[in-house]
Amino acid sequence: MSNNKLAAIIIDDEKLARDLIRNYLKQFDTIKIVDECENGFEGIKSINENNPDLIFLDIQMPKLNGFEMLELIEENYNIIFTTAYDQYALKAFDVNAIDYLLKPFSKERFKEAVEKTIEKISNSGRPIIKSSLPKLFPTEEKLKRIVVKKNNKIVIIPVDTIIYLEAQDDYVNIVTPDGSYLKQNRMKYYEEHLPNSFIRIHRSYIANLNDIKEISLLEKDNRIVILKNGNRLQVSKTGYKLLKEMIR
Amino acid sequence: MENPLVKNNSRTYLITVIVIMGLSFFLLLYFLFDTNVEISILDSLITSLFFALISLSLWYPTNYISLDNYSLEKVILNNILIAIVATSLWLYLSYLIVTTIFHEYEEFFLYTSIWRFTIGLLLFIISIILNYVIIYYNNFTEKVLSESNFNALITEAELKSLKYQINPHFLFNALNSISSLTISNPEKAQEMSINLSDFLRKTLSGNDIKKISLKEEIESIELYLKIEKVRFEKRLEFNLDITEECKDILIPNMILQPLIENAIKHGVYESSERVEITLSCRRKENIVEIKISNNYDPSAVSNIGEGIGLSNINRRLKLIYQRTNLVSITKLDNIFSVLLLIPIDDSAIKDFSNE
Repeated sequence: MSNNKLAAIIIDDEKLARDLIRNYLKQFDTIKIVDECENGFEGIKSINENNPDLIFLDIQMPKLNGFEMLELIEENYNIIFTTAYDQYALKAFDVNAIDYLLKPFSKERFKEAVEKTIEKISNSGRPIIKSSLPKLFPTEEKLKRIVVKKNNKIVIIPVDTIIYLEAQDDYVNIVTPDGSYLKQNRMKYYEEHLPNSFIRIHRSYIANLNDIKEISLLEKDNRIVILKNGNRLQVSKTGYKLLKEMIR
Repeated sequence: MENPLVKNNSRTYLITVIVIMGLSFFLLLYFLFDTNVEISILDSLITSLFFALISLSLWYPTNYISLDNYSLEKVILNNILIAIVATSLWLYLSYLIVTTIFHEYEEFFLYTSIWRFTIGLLLFIISIILNYVIIYYNNFTEKVLSESNFNALITEAELKSLKYQINPHFLFNALNSISSLTISNPEKAQEMSINLSDFLRKTLSGNDIKKISLKEEIESIELYLKIEKVRFEKRLEFNLDITEECKDILIPNMILQPLIENAIKHGVYESSERVEITLSCRRKENIVEIKISNNYDPSAVSNIGEGIGLSNINRRLKLIYQRTNLVSITKLDNIFSVLLLIPIDDSAIKDFSNE
């Protein structure tokens, strides 16, 4: 930053919403808007290019919403959410947002949020350590899609195409007919947020009931499921209990 | 419980019965027993008047000895006793009055007292049976009436619960746009706030049970879309394709609005390309076909719930028109369409309006 101004990006699909933030920001001569984006895809690209000090982020956007976009960003950024939806406020603080502005917001409220950011940056600079908590999509609803990044490409996986998930250290391997994708997250999260057709059959596996061909007994208390694609997965005792309940 | 025999609608019936009874008594006395005219008239008049008086008062014991509280044998036994007491009373009172007026008539009255008693007893029993029939019939109609009232209440309550409700996010986002326009384009801000007010007035005062013309429904949809168009600009396009004869057709209030909102939610919210929403209407004999379609981004896996919008509309139409299969959905070539069939025949329409 040559002139020591803070770089800001505005990500919102509505032009008037972006205009308002641009107008409100006029009172801060220490902040420079380096880009405006209309959706999450543009947002990711712009963040990687501009490495902003501050991001104004809408949640409900076409293609990739604000939270999904954050899931795909490696580093931590200073985020101020701007949205008409109040139900995501708790989630926003889970991803260490600086503030959560409910549309329509006043100039004073906006000023407060920006000053908070400036103070935080002058104290500690940009947070460098990625939060240890994985960034998750709002918890109230069941997941309908999962976004992942593979070979620098963003892939949106509809959950009903997932065959099974496998735990791999800090990651979860998501297996679909089109290939498998690694996502940093915990199995527990998917166990709770995938639709009911997904069953935790083992400490390391969550299987899609629709893709199970048969359950077979190898020896006493040692069962496996055979999937329609031929894969074989271990089944634990509790996993077998859950399976039995679901099939009944 | 009020005696139905003294109610207005039963009065003619009561008078007819007494007149018939008096007349037959008179004919019997005059022709069969050769009694002179004056005495025959007086006798039959007095006896039938007393009969009317006593049989009317029997309504109360009948109500008291109801079949709901007593066994059948007890009811029959009690009523026979009552009939005997009533007949005796009736005979004694008639005797007293008639013989006071005509002393010489006493012998003849006593001579005919056996058949007087028999006929009287029979008539009292019939009148008691009639009372039971009336009670039963009243209870029955009351039950049917209250049941149909109850059903109408349930339907109305359900219709109210399915009422269109304005989406708060639409409201907050629109207000945010106005807030932004007050800086960049105050005139447009004013226009938008007026459009928003008009739309709110229409939806907040709207009675969902009432029917309005398609023209009126389209007016409020256009207001709504004007507001959304300020937000989404070129991303939203609206086409109207309706024939003149469709404009005055009555449809349930706010039945299309949720479909337009759905089209925006799943079309415009989820796509960065332009989304075209088309509303078309054709009349086919006694049915109007209203179709709302929008293109959508097939690659967008919606993270927004399917919503209760469509099933709500289905349920509302079913309740209002008492018919199923009025809503159908098609997805073809990345175009999502909802087809509504609205029956025109007014007799098939159940009107729940309170006016």
